[in-house]
Amino acid sequence: MGLSIDYVAKETATNLWRNRMMALAAILTVAVSLSLVGTSLLLRQAVNRQIGQFGQNVSLEVFMNANASTQQLADVRSMIEQTPQITHFTYLNHQQSYQQAKQILAGNPVAADALTPAIVPTVFRCQLASPADAAALVATFANGVPGVYRATSPLQSIHVLEQVSNVLQIILIVVAILLLVSSLVLILNAIRMAIFARRLEVGVMKLVGATNWFIRVPFMLEGLVQGLLGAAAAVVIVLLSNIGVNYLVRRYHVSVLSSAVLPAHDLLMTELVVVAVGVVIGVAGSSVAVRRFLDV
Amino acid sequence: MIRFENVTKSYKGATPALREVSLEIAKGEFVFLVGSSGSGKTTFLKLMLREEVPDKGRVLVAGRDLGGLSHWRVPYLRRNLGCVFQDFRLLPNKTVAENVAFALEVIGRSRSEIKGQVGQVLELVGLGQKHDRMPDELSGGEQQRVAIARAFVNRPLVLLADEPTGNLDPATSQGIMRLLDRINRTGTTVVMATHDVGIVDAMRRRVVELDHGHLVRDQARGVYGYGGEMNTSTRGIPAVSVGAGLAEAADGEPATGRVAAVRARRGDR
Repeated sequence: MGLSIDYVAKETATNLWRNRMMALAAILTVAVSLSLVGTSLLLRQAVNRQIGQFGQNVSLEVFMNANASTQQLADVRSMIEQTPQITHFTYLNHQQSYQQAKQILAGNPVAADALTPAIVPTVFRCQLASPADAAALVATFANGVPGVYRATSPLQSIHVLEQVSNVLQIILIVVAILLLVSSLVLILNAIRMAIFARRLEVGVMKLVGATNWFIRVPFMLEGLVQGLLGAAAAVVIVLLSNIGVNYLVRRYHVSVLSSAVLPAHDLLMTELVVVAVGVVIGVAGSSVAVRRFLDV
Repeated sequence: MIRFENVTKSYKGATPALREVSLEIAKGEFVFLVGSSGSGKTTFLKLMLREEVPDKGRVLVAGRDLGGLSHWRVPYLRRNLGCVFQDFRLLPNKTVAENVAFALEVIGRSRSEIKGQVGQVLELVGLGQKHDRMPDELSGGEQQRVAIARAFVNRPLVLLADEPTGNLDPATSQGIMRLLDRINRTGTTVVMATHDVGIVDAMRRRVVELDHGHLVRDQARGVYGYGGEMNTSTRGIPAVSVGAGLAEAADGEPATGRVAAVRARRGDR
């Protein structure tokens, strides 16, 4: 068929320009919704990285009372030895714990000086086979094992982090989906207006025997271009927000955000997803419009 | 070239637009389609273009049954049918030459071919000097000439004209008719729906009359109208003239669907 590239390019460009206000609205909505999609994906990756970092030293710390008896210590030790989920453990006695505590409190000499080896709790530092067991084991050791002061696992805070990020992601995704739907409708409407504006031409084309695809392709391409332009804007927004986070982390050493500095590969994948969704939205919106309003 | 076999077409909830219409139009004929508004003329044309499909019966164009034509083939059918309308339907933002070229562009003809054809056809319709005018700079008659050029540039087998002179004054209409006649002489079949009594009477070509969807008259070298009471008495009877039609009816000649026979008898062309 004679769908020459310059014919299609010319038609598409003309359509977009004639219909520029509708096109702009569609493009901006696509851009905003895809930015949210991109940000949400980045957030998810950042949280996963954070969890991965914690997970590398999956651990459980069982602190003994400073005055725990030798018998209690031995009981806890054998209890740990008999727990299959614990792969490996080390015991820090008063002196070792004291050294550790002094290191942690290095920035606070007053507190560090107040410590004596005798009042620092001794610690069983355990490695877990799987992070999933952390919460149950914390509960087991914290509740009523004689001599145990408390049991903690960083995995618990990971759990909280996960929950917060899940809620945040659900909110972002819901908003993004609503916006994606509205951008789909806006593209659909923009194409519908373009079809309406050119109904005379379309009528003539049908009469002289232009094929359905010949008539449809420029309109579908118009939707595709709107989706792509929106996606391009979103790619830039996502990139800029990533650069912004990187800058904050480097400039102010905001360690909480350090795992939000994603490797280039993850960023690229996210951007590709954004572009792909933009293309799908554009093509879907214009296909529906063409099928419904360009009855050939 | 065109054959209607017992075609009935009705639109939702309305009385049928065409009822049991049978008709054959041979290659190279010039046919006037007359009848009051709502008599089914436009439906007749739309069926040929396959903008509509019959409820019953068959429509054949160039030997092909349009009922069996798959959706994607319709555009190829339409390349054989040129169309002209009362309201010209020119694209206002294109020049005369561009309007005509558009019809070839959208069916994928090469640029060099388009250039040659457009020049030729504009010469034929008498607008050789006005290639670069915009439609709104032309008179109504000239605009209709552009529309005819656009319909004819692809050398269709059939030219369908739906009241092509409806918006034009009598003198201009005559010019348009001379042009359609010239196109007809190139071997193109012309089917023209019209209300224009003067034109039909002056041309003395085959006249097909529709009334409330019925084919009530099919007359070689006919005129536009005749006494109202004839409408019912001659319903469906192909007649060489009104008088001859009545005579034929007396022979017991079956009515519709025998147009070819009438044509064969019509040695007066």
